[in-house]
Amino acid sequence: MHKKICMLGGFAVGKTSLVRRFVTNLFSEEYHTSIGVTVEKKILSVAGENVTLMLWDLYGDDEFQRIRESYLRGSSGYILVVDGTRKETLATALGLQRTVEGLLGPIPFALIVNKSDVRDVWEIDDAALSELRQQGWTIFFGSAKTGEGVESLFSTLAHRLLKQAT
Amino acid sequence: MRSHHTRQAAQGEILCTQLFVALETAVLERVDQTDTFSLQGTAPAWWSSIFGTTTPPSTVRPGERSPFLKQFLGEAEQGWARHAAGLVRSGPWTERDPHGTTLHLEATALVVDSRQLLLVARLGADFEQARATLQRAREQALRHAHATKLQTRTESRLTTQLSQSEELRDDLLGVLQGLGLATILTDSQGRITFISDEAAGLLNVSTDRAGQRWEQVLSCSKTDRDAIWTRLRSPAEQHDPLTLHLETDNPRWLDVTVSPHPRHNEKRILLFHDTTELHDLRRLLDEKARFHDLVGSSPSMMQVYQLVRNIARVEATVLIEGETGTGKELIARAIHCSSARKQGPFIAANCAGFTDSLLGSQLFGHKRGAFTGAVGDQAGLFESADGGTVFLDEIGDIPLNVQTSLLRVLQEKEITRLGEAKPRKVNVRVLAATHHNLSEDVVRGTFRTDLLYRIRVARIQLPPLRDRRDDIPLLASAFLGQVRATMGKGVDQISSEALRLLLSYAWPGNVRELKNAIEFAAIGCKGQRINTTDLPQEITRPQSHTPLSTYMPPTTNHDERAQLLRALNQASGNRSDAAKLLGMSRATLYRRLANYGIDIPR
Repeated sequence: MHKKICMLGGFAVGKTSLVRRFVTNLFSEEYHTSIGVTVEKKILSVAGENVTLMLWDLYGDDEFQRIRESYLRGSSGYILVVDGTRKETLATALGLQRTVEGLLGPIPFALIVNKSDVRDVWEIDDAALSELRQQGWTIFFGSAKTGEGVESLFSTLAHRLLKQAT
Repeated sequence: MRSHHTRQAAQGEILCTQLFVALETAVLERVDQTDTFSLQGTAPAWWSSIFGTTTPPSTVRPGERSPFLKQFLGEAEQGWARHAAGLVRSGPWTERDPHGTTLHLEATALVVDSRQLLLVARLGADFEQARATLQRAREQALRHAHATKLQTRTESRLTTQLSQSEELRDDLLGVLQGLGLATILTDSQGRITFISDEAAGLLNVSTDRAGQRWEQVLSCSKTDRDAIWTRLRSPAEQHDPLTLHLETDNPRWLDVTVSPHPRHNEKRILLFHDTTELHDLRRLLDEKARFHDLVGSSPSMMQVYQLVRNIARVEATVLIEGETGTGKELIARAIHCSSARKQGPFIAANCAGFTDSLLGSQLFGHKRGAFTGAVGDQAGLFESADGGTVFLDEIGDIPLNVQTSLLRVLQEKEITRLGEAKPRKVNVRVLAATHHNLSEDVVRGTFRTDLLYRIRVARIQLPPLRDRRDDIPLLASAFLGQVRATMGKGVDQISSEALRLLLSYAWPGNVRELKNAIEFAAIGCKGQRINTTDLPQEITRPQSHTPLSTYMPPTTNHDERAQLLRALNQASGNRSDAAKLLGMSRATLYRRLANYGIDIPR
């Protein structure tokens, strides 16, 4: 079973780093901006069934690059990535979520607040996220740098995709 | 012609192929509406690393190799189906070859002559340049956001600190105002940067005087202003306050201390204390401590003042007793000035050292020819004092025959000039003084009993200075004031050490000796303050080595004789020094030495 999952979020929130940590278990401190999309693949065993996750690592959404709807089509789910140290990236994620839902309807997604390794300088606190939780959002705290929360993020979404498929 | 066209078409095909290779673009044609494509022309160099086949007309299923292309072909299908001539672009995507090298690609679907074509181009230098530009722009945005964040945090921290500082300042200001401290803060130019409510109230100005010079809020004399300026220019704190007189509608006395600001050396803190009440109290105390020309606020002197007031109301004869230098004549003057006779004359006569006839002539007058040298009629002191007061000092030294005449004056209120027979009525009040013990003189037969009782109707005993040491600072200060006035010297203070010596000295010569000592010290004083070195030797000499430190008032003539001898001994026979030690004039000393038959060779 193949599932297309889009990685969405503002620029430099750590989308590529999260995919890289998940797929290759590597991390680089250097920031390389993405243009277009890179598709990575990882097979997960979910409930005894192999699920091939096609991870579409999309470029960061900002004033320079807007997300092309064509990249989103065919997605089974998506992951919204937020940089905990930049409050404005949560607003970007919220905007992207509305775009995706408008295009693809209510498909499974999860939100991860990245960079939990520097939580002392986070600008996003639980209060800002509690409302989203109340709306049914699945929210993770994690770090591509340390790997915290990465596996569970993808695994949880894969479970939901599988559950939806069955 | 035909072959020419054929040749031209072949050349065009070659050119197109070379062009696509140069553009690193692979051209594929869709085969029979399937997901299989045939490679057209020459494949670019990168093609094989991703899609394998390189030799046309080999076929390839690109969707199998690239998930991205697979989705794109789905989108392209719609364009191909419409046989539209327009382009369908994929947008850039990234593929990684087996060696890990990343390639940035972009696919375009189009229809040419009903042929469904797929162009896959490698994005080259332009793309990399755009990517680098975007990278820089985003890094710049991140840095800017970071800097903004830091700035916001710093601003927030500074705002908090400022708020805390302001709160602390307000608290301290509240405490300062609560303490009621009258404070002015000035900058290096002498401009006011802060004025407390208390200071504003004290100086009768508003608190919005910041920026003005301190002189503008302080109405005082030029001397006071100069003194403050001197303090303001001094870098060191001076603890002794300046006393200044505020010349406003509501005049005040202020003590002002000027201190450097603890953190800003160029700033000054002026702290004002309203001492008006203190000055008023001092003045009242001073007035209370002065009675006519007498100075002293000790209980014994207060009793004397009251006694003088009481005695002044009546006409009784008064005997004023006290050691030499205790101010007996001053008491006599005070009685006169407080009495109903104050408009009349006050005549003082020292009865010691005169012969019988000379003293009689002095007191009662004489008629021309009454004795050798009496070249004209002469009224005596009693006649001159008619309607007033006669003060007879050293009455114990009056010869017996003059005592008789004096008794007549007291009894009959009349005198008889020498050489006359007819008495003259006089309206005189008699005050007498002596350092003798007249009762002993009566026993010895040198003083008439009836005269003693006549002159001792009222009696005032003046305490020696050693018995009212509390008055010494007051007296010293009063004498210093007199010295300043008469000498024009700026001496206005006595050091605490010098004052300590003055307080511990025995003062055998009493107040007169103290006055002499102050004059002596003021003459020798180089500055504004009298120090121990300025005082006479007998005061600074260790008391244990000073025989007179154990001075006791003479209660008998024997005591006084011994006292005179001690003084002479201490002064090594120098009469002037001995007189000074005893607090008496040289003439008095000579007279007393003669009385006791003490003969010191010159």
